[in-house]
Formats: sequence, structure tokens, C-alpha cells
Amino acid sequence: MNPILTVEGITAGYGRVTVLHDISLEAGRFGNVGLFGPNGHGKTTLLRAISGLLQAKSGRIQFDGQDISGLSARAIVGTGLIHVPQGNRLFPDLSIADCMALGAYSPRARPHEAENREKVVKLFPKLAERWRQRVRTLSGGERQMVSIGTALMSHPRLLILDEPTLGLAPKIKDELCASVMDISRGGVPLIVVEQDIEFLLELTQQLYLVNHGAVATEIKPGESLDHGEIMSMYFGH
Amino acid sequence: MSALAEILFGGLFQGSLYAMMAVGLALVWTTIGVFNFSHGVFMMLGAYIAWQLVELGLPAAVAFPIAVVVMAGVGWILQASVVRPLIGRPNIVLVVVITTLAAGSLIENGALTIWGPRSKQIPALIDGNTTIGGVGVSLHQIAIIVITPLILAALWMFLNRTRLGLALRAVAQNEDASHLVGLNVTALYGLAFAIAASLAGLAGIFMGGYRFMSPVMGSDPLLKALIVVVFGGISSISGPIFAAYLIGFFEAACSYYFGLYWTPALLFGVLILTLMVRPEGIFASRSRGLA
Ligand SMILES: Nc1ncnc2c1ncn2[C@@H]1O[C@H](COP(=O)(O)OP(=O)(O)O)[C@@H](O)[C@H]1O
Ligand SMILES: [Mg+2]
Repeated sequence: MNPILTVEGITAGYGRVTVLHDISLEAGRFGNVGLFGPNGHGKTTLLRAISGLLQAKSGRIQFDGQDISGLSARAIVGTGLIHVPQGNRLFPDLSIADCMALGAYSPRARPHEAENREKVVKLFPKLAERWRQRVRTLSGGERQMVSIGTALMSHPRLLILDEPTLGLAPKIKDELCASVMDISRGGVPLIVVEQDIEFLLELTQQLYLVNHGAVATEIKPGESLDHGEIMSMYFGH
Repeated sequence: MSALAEILFGGLFQGSLYAMMAVGLALVWTTIGVFNFSHGVFMMLGAYIAWQLVELGLPAAVAFPIAVVVMAGVGWILQASVVRPLIGRPNIVLVVVITTLAAGSLIENGALTIWGPRSKQIPALIDGNTTIGGVGVSLHQIAIIVITPLILAALWMFLNRTRLGLALRAVAQNEDASHLVGLNVTALYGLAFAIAASLAGLAGIFMGGYRFMSPVMGSDPLLKALIVVVFGGISSISGPIFAAYLIGFFEAACSYYFGLYWTPALLFGVLILTLMVRPEGIFASRSRGLA
């Protein structure tokens, strides 16, 4: 399969600080992609560069054959590349219903609004019970469901999740992981940043270790490593 | 009876003007997170444009709507020129105070150059007077009292019942997340300014219909609108609306019982007390967002 997303030599950062150093990777050739690595090494920054929240200083990003580097975040949403940011801050004073309506804001997603809303409710029945409730009054797990639900309303062709289970209690985390697996089985390719390696090994077919703003190691299918080996990569040998 | 009628009427009337002004300030604050200090100048400009169009021979019913629409454009342009380029700067709130003050003073002096210092007046919305509860009032003022709540209700409906309004409320709360659902954040900022400027322009037209206009006519209403949003809480638009009427009634009562001279002092006294007890404003929740 051709990769759905290719990142070629992206250099990006904040102000004068460069965070990503000529990073390259591919997604979609083997299935879902997992990104992992120590905190503060540029995973979130990479995702922000991909979704157009941050303009890269150099390099090229292609999504499904189209060069999307330099496009606005809105234009990128219009191509179906949807990014769920880290930390589920969302829209604290909007209701779940409002968030879902916003998810379907782009002209591309609008015609599928009803169908996608049904999918979201089926995936996260808890949200239906709290449909008119403000996001700020929800638990962390529920807010994450709203984040992912909003992204599904955008009718994604590729879904990027930045640490979806961050800070969740174990039981809630397991439920959320199961839902993410469901989304994948429903045919949406995923790029997922996660600290939980077990979850990544189960969900994804290809892994990248991001270290100091570059890919330190790529793990392709067939080269599966065990947990211990990954941990030793994580912490340096 | 006539005391009550006078306070009630004066409160409703002043409250309407304050609400019309304050709501625009609040809209810009909640969506963009800046204070627009050229808001008073928008009010003046709306009135002068309306006056000019009437001078050119247009009937008021045509001139006033055109002036309001032109003001939307003015608001958009001002936003694009002195606010948008600064978004993302660390000291944006302070910097925008300065840039909007500067732009405002430029426009004010421009108005002075074009139209001169002579006071002007524009036609009333409705000519004539009547008596209610023993108090003589002009039909123009009654029209303002009736129209303002309708416009504010329409704004509320727009913000809360339409998808575009929802988008404006969303930008107010989280800019990154707004980008990620595909909102045109820049255009929404422009829209917030355009709506605010239109409302200010309309307030100017209201005012120019019963009081003489001058190029500095907006500065006192701007000050009052600032008091209203600080008093009512800058986190929403319903807070300032309630506060505007409350302050209107307060002023009307004060000037009836203590005279016009004491009213500003008493108003500031109440404002300071409010800020000591509830720094976020009396009707405010603790977050930013339109509701
Ligand atoms: N908005 C920002 N402004 C300046 N520096 C930032 C900003 N966001 C992140 N950084 C810095 O960029 C580096 C990479 O951060 P990030 O991409 O969030 O890493 P990760 O997601 O891998 O934990 C860190 O050193 C962080 O301090
Ligand atoms: Mg991160």
C-alpha cells in the first residue's frame, strides 16, 4: 500500500528554538502508526506541524498524494486529515451537542453529519446521556471521548491522536483504548502518540521512536520487539 | 407615580444605549481577548456617516441601515489593520489598547477635519413627543427603548441558535481547537469586530437623534461601556446587558434623588465596591466565553 501520509525533512520549532530537526516518516503503508518517546522531544510539535497549527521552517508533508505543507489548518481539515490535540481542553463552555456540530463544520463533513453523529453515539453511549451538558463539567475520560467524537464528526480519512489516554484512571483508559481499536476496525487509519507501549503494540503495525526532534528508530511489522527492548530504547542503553 | 415613571423611563433609555455599546466591547473581548478602545469612535463615526448620507438627500430609513453596514466594514478593516497583525504577541491586551487608541484618535481627528467642530444633529427615529405616567418623553427615546432589546435578542439568537454564532462562541474559548475543526478563525475575528462596530454605529445614530453630535461624542459612552463590562463581567454578553440596564436604573435613580452632579461619584463608588467583593463582575462566571 502507498503511504497515506509522508513527512519529509520537517524542521520546525517555536520562535528561535528548533524542536524538530529534519524529521521524516511515513504512515499508512503497513496500517496504524504509533509514535513514542520521552516527553518534550517533539511529538506534539510534529503533529501540530502536520495539521497546520504550526508552520514548518522547511520540509514537505504529503497527504494522499497532495502537498499540504503551507496549507492553513482549515484547508487541511478540509482534506480529511483530523488531529485530536493533547490534553482535551476543547471548548469548556460548549455542550457536547455544540462540539459535535462544530466537528461537522467543514463543508466536507457537513453532508455526513447525521450518520457520523450516530457512529459517535454508538461508540460513546455515555456522551448521549450528557448531550446538553457543558464540557467543563465532564470527567477527563468523558472529555477525551468528546475530543475524539468531535474529530469523528469531521469525517476523518486519517485520524491523529495525541496521547488519548493521558491522565486517565486504568479502567477508563481500557475502555477508551477499546473504543480507539473500534475506530480503527471501522476503517479509519490512525497515527497515535502514546506513552502506553502495550496499547501501541496492540493498536499499531508500525512504530517510530521520536528522540530529540528526529526519528531515532523505526519498527516495521516483522521486526516486532518486546516490551523490554522498547523500554531500553526509551531510556537509552 | 411620576418619580417612578421618570426613573423607570430614564433607566430603560440610558440602559439601552449602554447595552448597545457594552455588548460590542464584550463580544470583541470574549472572541479575541482584547479591549477595543476605538469602540467610542465607532459610535461617533456611525452617527457622522448617517448624518452625511442624510445631508446628501437620502431618507433616514435608507441612510441609517447603510451607515450601520458601512460601520461593519470599518470594524473589519480596523481589526485587520491594527489587531490581527498582533495576535499571538505576548502582551497583546496592552498592545491592542494602544493601537486601538491610536487608530481611534486618528479617526477622531479625521472626522474633525472632514466635518468640522460644529455640532450636528441627525433626524430622530420617530418625531414627536408623548406623556407616559405624567412624564413627557420623545417618541425617539421610546423607539430606542423598544428597538434595543429586539436587536440584543437577535444577537443572542444569532450567537446561540446558528452555526456561525456557535463558531464565534467556539473561537472565544479555544483558538487551537477552533482551527482543528476547520473554523476560519481570522474571518471570525473580523466578524466579531464588524458586529461590534455596527452596534456602536447604531448607538451613535440613536444618540445623534436627540443630542448634538461632535467628533468626541463617543468618549463618554466608551467610558460608560467599560464600566458596564467591568461591572457586569467581561466573560459573556448577557452579563454586560443586565449590567447596562442596572447601571441605567441606578443613574436614573441617583440623578432623581441626589442630582446629576453626584451621579458619577456614586456610580464609581458602587463600581469600586463591586470590584472589591467580586473582581470578576457581578454576573460573571469565571471563564471567558459568549453566552
Ligand atoms: N508553545 C510552545 N512554545 C515554546 N516551546 C514549546 C511550545 N510547545 C512546546 N515547546 C517545546 O518544544 C519541545 C517539544 O515539545 P512537545 O512537542 O510538546 O514534546 P512531546 O509532545 O514529545 O512531549 C519541548 O522542549 C517544549 O518545551
Ligand atoms: Mg506531547
